[in-house]
Amino acid sequence: MSAPAITARPLGPTASRLARRHAWTVAVTAFFAVLLVWNASQTRNFGAFEIQTMLASTLALAYLAMAQSVVVIGGGIDLSVGALLVLANCLSARFMEHAGLGASLLVAVACLAVTAALGAFTGLIVTVSRIPAIIVTLATSFAWGGMALLVLHTPGGGAPAGFQALVLGSGNAWWPALLCLLAPLLLIWAPLRRSRAGIAVYALGSSDNAAYLSGVNPLRTRIVAYAFGGLLCGLAGLATTAFTGGGSPQSTIAMNATLNSVAAIVLGGVALSGGVGGLVGPVIAVWCLYLIPNIMLGLGVDPSYGEVVKGVVVVLVVLVGGLLRARRNRSA
Amino acid sequence: MSGVIVKDTDAAPERRLLARAAAADRSTLALIGVLLALVVANTVIDRSFLSLNQVRNTLLVTAPLALLAGGQTLCMLTGGIDLSVAMTATAAAYVTGVQSADGAAVAIVAGLLVGLVVGLVNGLAIGLFRVNPLIMTLGMSGILTGLLTVGSQSFLSGATRMSAFVLRLGGGTIVGPIPWNLVVWLALGSVLVVGLRRTGLGRMIYAVGDNRVACRLAGVRVWQVEAAVYVLCALLAAVAGILIGGRSGSVDLQLAGSYLLPSVAAAVIGGTSILGGVGGYTGTILGALILAVLDTMLNLLTVDEALKQILYGCIILVLAWVYARGTATAQ
Repeated sequence: MSAPAITARPLGPTASRLARRHAWTVAVTAFFAVLLVWNASQTRNFGAFEIQTMLASTLALAYLAMAQSVVVIGGGIDLSVGALLVLANCLSARFMEHAGLGASLLVAVACLAVTAALGAFTGLIVTVSRIPAIIVTLATSFAWGGMALLVLHTPGGGAPAGFQALVLGSGNAWWPALLCLLAPLLLIWAPLRRSRAGIAVYALGSSDNAAYLSGVNPLRTRIVAYAFGGLLCGLAGLATTAFTGGGSPQSTIAMNATLNSVAAIVLGGVALSGGVGGLVGPVIAVWCLYLIPNIMLGLGVDPSYGEVVKGVVVVLVVLVGGLLRARRNRSA
Repeated sequence: MSGVIVKDTDAAPERRLLARAAAADRSTLALIGVLLALVVANTVIDRSFLSLNQVRNTLLVTAPLALLAGGQTLCMLTGGIDLSVAMTATAAAYVTGVQSADGAAVAIVAGLLVGLVVGLVNGLAIGLFRVNPLIMTLGMSGILTGLLTVGSQSFLSGATRMSAFVLRLGGGTIVGPIPWNLVVWLALGSVLVVGLRRTGLGRMIYAVGDNRVACRLAGVRVWQVEAAVYVLCALLAAVAGILIGGRSGSVDLQLAGSYLLPSVAAAVIGGTSILGGVGGYTGTILGALILAVLDTMLNLLTVDEALKQILYGCIILVLAWVYARGTATAQ
């Protein structure tokens, strides 16, 4: 609802269309650049170590924001992303505890298969039952949270150090985390977005009736969107395992993660009404949300105010986006 | 002649109204059936379930949940949602706790003021500035979390012990199985039920949820209706928070967090549609009771917390599915 309304205008020259389509991502990137420079100016010897810390600690939320984006672009919403993250986190932490690097990679693949299947199952229920997605995923969030408790009763488990270093890097090596983040973007999302199935996801999100009448299969499309979302949630869970070196089945973690993912996609230019946005904007938005408390700490303000600022920023972004859209609609 | 015509045109809507009332009654009856089945099952599992003490405990747990779910119902009827109810409740309880030294009346008024301010901000942003309700209330939840975290160490520091009156209101018993918080719930609940059915604002809430554009074109000041709804919701949340705080005695930042999803679930189980315009508070009351009795049952069976959550999710899904089918066939 808040991103550039590309559909409202007749097709212009490609360049202006591209600029219009990516205006939001560019704006978020600029915002991020400002925050980064600000934070860098506060920190002495700002360098690879700080970048590594940022990438490693935001990796899970970045995956989660991507998961939420895919589902929202497809016209749904997923309140169970956090619970699915916790489930993948508990599964991997339990079975990786005494495993070597090779075995833990196998565990990781199995976790991804499970979460992708659960995501597909959610998509199936949403389509078949015709219950609003927000209710279905509210219900499944309880179910996935319960399963996580079943797997791991109390915080525990573990992950081999080799796996942690492989996913997040260590010390000054910031590129492993970045590579892990880019992998699903380049290997799955880039080809998917250009494929029939990916275009169908956007079409379904823009208008499910029009998409259906143009021959889009809603069932298959929703399953694709939610399954890819589930896969990304699984990746987020694995990243959490690597980052914390264990698993934790607490429902507050799931809830905060879900809420943060929604905030990130809104800031990242994905319209909650569906069909608009991409996956890069939300990732950059996650980095912005990470930098805000850091900068406040540098300014000597209690970083707990970071939550307040985050909330205000998200609300203001939606507000301004809405006002801009209203003005454009009036002038069009 | 004209009398005949009047009679003719009157009969049709009347019949439609009757049919609609019958349909509404059927889902209410179904809910009552589910509730009774759960109560019977509980009694079979544990004979003492219908003892005064157990009934009191169940009601004690239900009242705050039903109040939160009441606010949630109002928001959902207009097609919105309020994800800040849990934090509003916590904030209200916290402020009440801190102000307890100044007497119960001042403390409660301070707590309600928190609700009023939160509701006004939410309502104006959603109604007037058209911020998406999900985002607005999510942001508000974050803002309140931050303010409380900081405040608990600075401007809100101090004893967070509830005063005797609030303790009594939240956890005390009047007579037999009737706790004090039931009285609060009954009073506010009946206002909600009657208000939604009989007052102009009540009808407006349904109308806005049903078709916002039509309402605007018909001259309804939609933003005022929405602002009123979010203010009422936050006030109900504040009352619920004070009751929860009174039950637990002291207040912390996690006080009402676990009530957020159940408050939505109770409204959904009660048949209120998240798309707006359909539902009501009677259903939500039954939904809250069902959730409370179900919770007791799973505790009696000493079901593992993990299985409990899975069952909880499945039940919400099944009930919502039944409603979706019911409304589909009705249309």
